[in-house]
Amino acid sequence: MAAARRLKHAAVSQPGFLGLKSNVKSSELVSSRRKRVNKNKKKNWNRHSDIHDVEDFLEDIRHQERTTGGLLSEKPDDSLFFLDVEAEPVKAEKGKRRVQRPLRIDLILQHDSMVPAPKNVTAYQQPNAKKLRRIAQRAEQLAAKGVLPRRQRHLLSRRPAEKTVKKAEANNNPDRDFYAMWGEEKVTDSADPWYLQQTGKKLVQRPEKLNQKPSVLPAVEVIAPGGSYNPDFLSHQALLQEAHDVEVQKQKQEDKLQRQLAFRKEDRATEVQTIISAVAACLYEDEDEAAAPNEDEADSALGAIAVAEKKTERQRKKEKAEKMKTQQQQASRRQTERQQQLFQLRSIKSSIKQQELQTKARQMKRKARQEAQKALPRRLGKLKYAQDLEVQLSDELAASLRQLKPEGSVLKDRFKSLQKRNLIEPRERAKFKRRLKVKYVEKRAFRQIT
Amino acid sequence: MGGTQKKKFERGSATNYITRNRARKKLQLSLPDFRRLCILKGIYPHEPKHKKKVNKGSTAPRTFYLLKDIRFLLHEPIVAKFREYKIFVRKLRKAYGKTEWSAVERLKENKPTYKLDHIIKERYPSFIDALRDIDDALCMCFLFSTFARTGKCHVQTIQLCRRLTVEWMNYVIASRSLRKVFVSIKGMYYQAEVMGQLITWLVPYQFSHDHPTDVDYRVMATFTELYTTLLGFVNFRLYHSLNLVYPPKSELKGENEDEYAMDSESYPEVSFYLFVSHTEQPKRPDLEKVEAREKEQMQLETQKKIFEGLKFFLNREVPRESLAFVIRSFGGEVSWDRSVCIGSTYEATDETITHQIVDRPNVDKSYINRYYIQPQWVYDCVNAKVLLPVEDYFVGVTLPPHLSPFVEEKDGDYVPPEKLKIMALQRGEKPGADLPEDDDDDEEEENDDDDDDEEDEEENEDDEDEAEEKNLKEMEKQKSQGKSLQVKVTPGKMKMENPVRLEQEEKAEEKRLAIMMMKKKEKYLYDKIMFGKKRKIREANKLAAKRKAFDDTEKAKKKKTKN
Repeated sequence: MAAARRLKHAAVSQPGFLGLKSNVKSSELVSSRRKRVNKNKKKNWNRHSDIHDVEDFLEDIRHQERTTGGLLSEKPDDSLFFLDVEAEPVKAEKGKRRVQRPLRIDLILQHDSMVPAPKNVTAYQQPNAKKLRRIAQRAEQLAAKGVLPRRQRHLLSRRPAEKTVKKAEANNNPDRDFYAMWGEEKVTDSADPWYLQQTGKKLVQRPEKLNQKPSVLPAVEVIAPGGSYNPDFLSHQALLQEAHDVEVQKQKQEDKLQRQLAFRKEDRATEVQTIISAVAACLYEDEDEAAAPNEDEADSALGAIAVAEKKTERQRKKEKAEKMKTQQQQASRRQTERQQQLFQLRSIKSSIKQQELQTKARQMKRKARQEAQKALPRRLGKLKYAQDLEVQLSDELAASLRQLKPEGSVLKDRFKSLQKRNLIEPRERAKFKRRLKVKYVEKRAFRQIT
Repeated sequence: MGGTQKKKFERGSATNYITRNRARKKLQLSLPDFRRLCILKGIYPHEPKHKKKVNKGSTAPRTFYLLKDIRFLLHEPIVAKFREYKIFVRKLRKAYGKTEWSAVERLKENKPTYKLDHIIKERYPSFIDALRDIDDALCMCFLFSTFARTGKCHVQTIQLCRRLTVEWMNYVIASRSLRKVFVSIKGMYYQAEVMGQLITWLVPYQFSHDHPTDVDYRVMATFTELYTTLLGFVNFRLYHSLNLVYPPKSELKGENEDEYAMDSESYPEVSFYLFVSHTEQPKRPDLEKVEAREKEQMQLETQKKIFEGLKFFLNREVPRESLAFVIRSFGGEVSWDRSVCIGSTYEATDETITHQIVDRPNVDKSYINRYYIQPQWVYDCVNAKVLLPVEDYFVGVTLPPHLSPFVEEKDGDYVPPEKLKIMALQRGEKPGADLPEDDDDDEEEENDDDDDDEEDEEENEDDEDEAEEKNLKEMEKQKSQGKSLQVKVTPGKMKMENPVRLEQEEKAEEKRLAIMMMKKKEKYLYDKIMFGKKRKIREANKLAAKRKAFDDTEKAKKKKTKN
């Protein structure tokens, strides 16, 4: 190393030697101690090699390409030079609209070099391009011949799907169909019961109790013979009598209510009585003192009862003895009774028989009452069942079928019949209740304050 | 204190019942939906025996249902449909609110509906069960078919009801099952016998329409929904039992569709032309050779054909449908004016018409060979099962009262004289042939009472004896006066002994002997029974006397007005 350094110094000190840095003065060459670098190492090829001139040359070439799109030396003469034969310069016309300067953003967005961007080859690459091309060509040839591809042939031979849009039919459609529900032939169920059970489509069995009718009354009760449009005299009278009875009952109820709410005659003071009582009040004011002495006696009597003395031994023994005596008496009486009953057997038997008869009679009555109850409408809700009777008075009876005016409406009759048979509970139309707002008024005292 | 103590209202009847609101919440339905479901499934509220127990001590009036019934309701597939419908309504309302008309159209097209067929099959497992319940169904369907076609209830329901009722009437006509008709102030009651079941239904008059406001229409509509389905299936089965085509097609429909605008015309009662196969009476498989049974059958057969061979014409003012139905079900032919309704077969000018039904006070043009009668004649004939004399029903005559055929009179009850007349006619006797001018003497017709008193007979005999005595006295007087008696010896006439009368006399004798031979105790009992029966007879006589008095006053009135 020291020897290499000595050699370098020797070369530099020779006159006329041009070092790398040619602008460096020769006087400085000797004085500056340059570090010696080994250029054989790979590391130093990049660091300590001077390729400025090559780089300048290349830069120059690139510059030419960027600005003019190619090397100037390779360009034809026409593009670089032109013969100027025109004598007069072109006058700029005044008054014309100035050409608008291009927008800065457009300028920025323009390409600033004449070198075109490189093409992305992978973007145009298609895997299996050749194979696909071949297939397409083949298909074209076949199509030109008239042969359809296999897939299309299959599609064409397929059966068209039947579009059955089943519109759900309403239950009250007037043209609806009915079928044999209680089949005359033994029609087995369309589905297996096991299948139905497993898929959860099996219908639950109806409980037996629901098949009983809620009332024993028949569905349609024919009106009494007096309800005919041209009734027989006596049956009409009978029907009128019934209606009359119903009205009488109603009237009786009302009267009863009136009676219960009315003042008693004795309580109601007549004019004479009021005068007399007023006069008596004035006259008999002196009699008040006589009422006073009676009260004192009552007080002393009360006092005597309140304090009770303690019982003595003698009294207790006496009581016990009396008790024993009465018990013995009762026991002996019972004994004698029992003995005597032997001789009273016949009368006992008859009395038992009577009792049995009575109980039987009562049982029958109760049963009859229960049966009668079954025919009555049950109380199913808030309202009670009210029956109305359709009857036409004698002067309303029609002379002929043409002049008949129907009484009552069948709709109402059916509704009432449904209630009577306990199918629905008696219902009334909902009343229109007016909800009034409560007015708040301040108390008089507060009004004064505020 | 302890956990094992029994608490009140935790077991027994308190847990078997559930209130209506609780049930509704359990099913997650609104109240109208719950009501509808209960009606469709046939679940009815129950009144518990001990209300206090079930109501947990209070006596507030509540509606109770059995808990098991409500649990059964939970399995019903229609409940899902109700909920779907609720959602549909909500969506529809939203679409209307947002005025999205295309959405409205789409929703309306896919409206959720339900069918009740499985419910019918569940509630009426056999055909006879369905027939037993058909009374109610018929009444409802007839009622709804008379409603006006405003939008109050679905017009489709009304149309369906009309179709079903016409089909039913056609079946009754074809099978000749009609037995009784009663024209009342409420409507017309009909009774038919179908497959051994007596079916009664009520048809309202066409011209009465005051819709009462306190009737719940929704409830009635729900009932009708169920009943229309039931009636449809029953009709199908009945038609098939007669080998008829269901649904029946009308041959006249094609021609007249242009002339008549109303839909109701397209379901006329033109029954004769509707049937494809001929009508055959259903054969009974086990015809016993018992005489009485055969006799009954023969009677029934004749009764079914009382109007056969007769031709009727209905005037405009009479109830056309009802009369046509009744007349046709007993074999008669009927027609009406062409402009009233389609289906008229012959005009009023037809010469072969035997009866014309008129309800006016007078008729202007009258043909000779036909009777002009009031409509009550038809109904009374049907009830009496025999053709009644036409004279009582002529135009302008005061009609006899229309008696109810649904009344069964027992022995000793008051029988109105008109009914007696009819019974006489049924037996084939001719009343009124040898009666005095007084009409009231109809009551002297034979009384079929078996417990006819011997007293009556004795009285008659006494009367005869008295008359004979009188005669003898006169003759003696004449003889004593020396006049020659006009008594001559004439050849003897054979006294025709009426065998019937003889029989009756024998029977009465036997009865008298039997009564004499009874023991004291038995006699006592017999007397008691007879007293009761005689009391009834006495009352009946009283009523008859009343009736006579009334008729006399009527007559007096008539005479006064005449004068």
